[in-house]
Amino acid sequence: MSIKKWARIRSPWLIHFNTGGCNGCDIEFVAAITPRYDVERFGILLKGTPRQADILGVTGPITMQVAHRVLRVYKQMPEPKFVVAIGTCAVSGGAFKDGYSVYGGVDTILPVDVYIPGCPPKPEAIINGIVKLIEKIKG
Amino acid sequence: MRYGTTIKVPFGPQHPALKEPECFLFEVEGDFVVNVKPRIGYVHRGIEKAFENNTYMHDLYLAERICGICSHAHTVAFTQTVEGLVSLEIPQRAQYIRLIMAELERLHSHSLWVGIAAHEAGFDTMFMYLWRDREMIMDLMEEISGNRVLHAINTIGGVRRDINDEQANKIRKYLDKFEENIKNYIKVLETENTFLKRTVGVGILKPSDAIALCAVGPTLRASGIKNDVRKDDPYLLYDEIPFEVITHDGCDVFARTIVRCEEMLESIKIIRYALDHMPKGELKVKAPRTFPPNESIGRVEAPRGELIHYTKSNGTSKPERYKVRSPTLGNLASVCKTLIGAHIADIPMILAGIDPCFSCMDRILIKKRS
Amino acid sequence: MEDLIKKIEPFGVLEFKRPKERRIFIRIKSEFLRDLISFLIGEYDLRHLSTITGIDLGEEIELLYHFSYKHSIEITIGIKIPKSSLKVPTITDLIPGAIFYEKEVHDMLGVVFEGHPDLSPLILPENWPEGVHPLRKDYSIEKLKELIKK
Repeated sequence: MSIKKWARIRSPWLIHFNTGGCNGCDIEFVAAITPRYDVERFGILLKGTPRQADILGVTGPITMQVAHRVLRVYKQMPEPKFVVAIGTCAVSGGAFKDGYSVYGGVDTILPVDVYIPGCPPKPEAIINGIVKLIEKIKG
Repeated sequence: MRYGTTIKVPFGPQHPALKEPECFLFEVEGDFVVNVKPRIGYVHRGIEKAFENNTYMHDLYLAERICGICSHAHTVAFTQTVEGLVSLEIPQRAQYIRLIMAELERLHSHSLWVGIAAHEAGFDTMFMYLWRDREMIMDLMEEISGNRVLHAINTIGGVRRDINDEQANKIRKYLDKFEENIKNYIKVLETENTFLKRTVGVGILKPSDAIALCAVGPTLRASGIKNDVRKDDPYLLYDEIPFEVITHDGCDVFARTIVRCEEMLESIKIIRYALDHMPKGELKVKAPRTFPPNESIGRVEAPRGELIHYTKSNGTSKPERYKVRSPTLGNLASVCKTLIGAHIADIPMILAGIDPCFSCMDRILIKKRS
Repeated sequence: MEDLIKKIEPFGVLEFKRPKERRIFIRIKSEFLRDLISFLIGEYDLRHLSTITGIDLGEEIELLYHFSYKHSIEITIGIKIPKSSLKVPTITDLIPGAIFYEKEVHDMLGVVFEGHPDLSPLILPENWPEGVHPLRKDYSIEKLKELIKK
């Protein structure tokens, strides 16, 4: 294992972007960084800027207004980068799939590495998803 | 001091201080904000249109998904509005269960917000403490409804799940612990310099402005105005339950924090009273699937303030029009006013001060599957 | 509140109903809107506007102004305006808090509020086709989706 990969799997930093969700997934996502679930034990940190992040966590269906912003956030992230779709809306569009200003799930505009279904997924499920991603990076 | 030139500073849609994507365009002169223009709609999903294309039973689940934080408040407002169309009376026990869930939700929402406010002020320890204690409330809600966030406990004509004695005792036990902790945190927040320096005198909203700009909820109460839909326009059984409406004369972000903290203590009292006085009985009555032409308004005190739903029925199983006004849109005009004249560094604090919930505000208009 | 119906009689009242305690619906002729609101502000201190609802009735659009009296009694004032001239005077000078509610109705139904300081889009996306108002009944969701694809 190269030293770069070794470092990467021990500190996957996250950026969170809500693309039009109802907040349900977001609060569960934030709950995952708080004391009971504490994802920092996997070296996962929540970052405020895409330039420092390895993983983009997307919650919510992609709305028209937000679509090219989320692309910009994705482009600003350094390589290699990964996308996690959190919640049913981000996976497929969910209940809002047929809304007139909704494009659908995250994979309509971005390549997705891990899908975490649930409305909303519990923090345990979110942690499980991110740990699966770490396994995937390990190869 | 006037510098003569203004610079435009966009804030959002992706910003560390905003948990949701919304854009505020600030015009600043030196270090001060002189003008602000909000651009919302990043979370616009088209829900009001969707309401018209779905039956009332489906709309209940859409109403739940307007907002994940105050989902129960939205379904209470929805059921109140739809039951109002045919003047349907629901059983007392169902009303108490709705009320208990609503107050539990207020506890979770307020502790969430106070944590975020502490985080914005750079006081992360408090954020972690509050979110740790919030998990107790989440456990209770999961125990009662089976879900942590979207509870799906309301249905048209009543509720779908009961609270048994074992659960009631668990609620009492957890609330004792929660109350003790919140009292401690209030003491800490009132004396901690890091927090006071960031909040006292920041984001002043004068009572006259608060009234003129139609502010609602804790934002209005923190400007010293006694207003609470639970007291003024009682729904469920709030008129039978003794509780205080908390106000504060500070008019600043600190006042908004304290109002919310003390409201949590009131909510705990309400839940205890409701658990003690809950009668035995039915959980729901049979509700019609179609509604005769009529119109109805539902008003609820959501954790963020007055939430109002309006519906017009047309004799079919689908509404002719369904309108939702969430508290955040009500507070948007007042937060724009308080931002003018503020330091750039205080912007996140003031924005967080109204407890914005943009997904409620932009709403959703969904549509039916073909 | 009991003598309300007598006091507002000169303002072209078409309908007055009180379906429940603390809920009042008043429907008036559209030209009296501003007069009635300024009268109610003076007489009853009715300054809390909860929201404005717009409804597409086919040939007309109905606007409902939901006020709350002492935050307790919900008073709804309704007017109808024909689709041929969708213009209504703003009330932002009487009630500054109406600013975003009027903008929202403008976005969703295309009603023009004359004298409103800024009617730029608030909720609809930036690349939204001009002149399309999603809450109008003549736009179904399928039609809206097709329009957006273009």
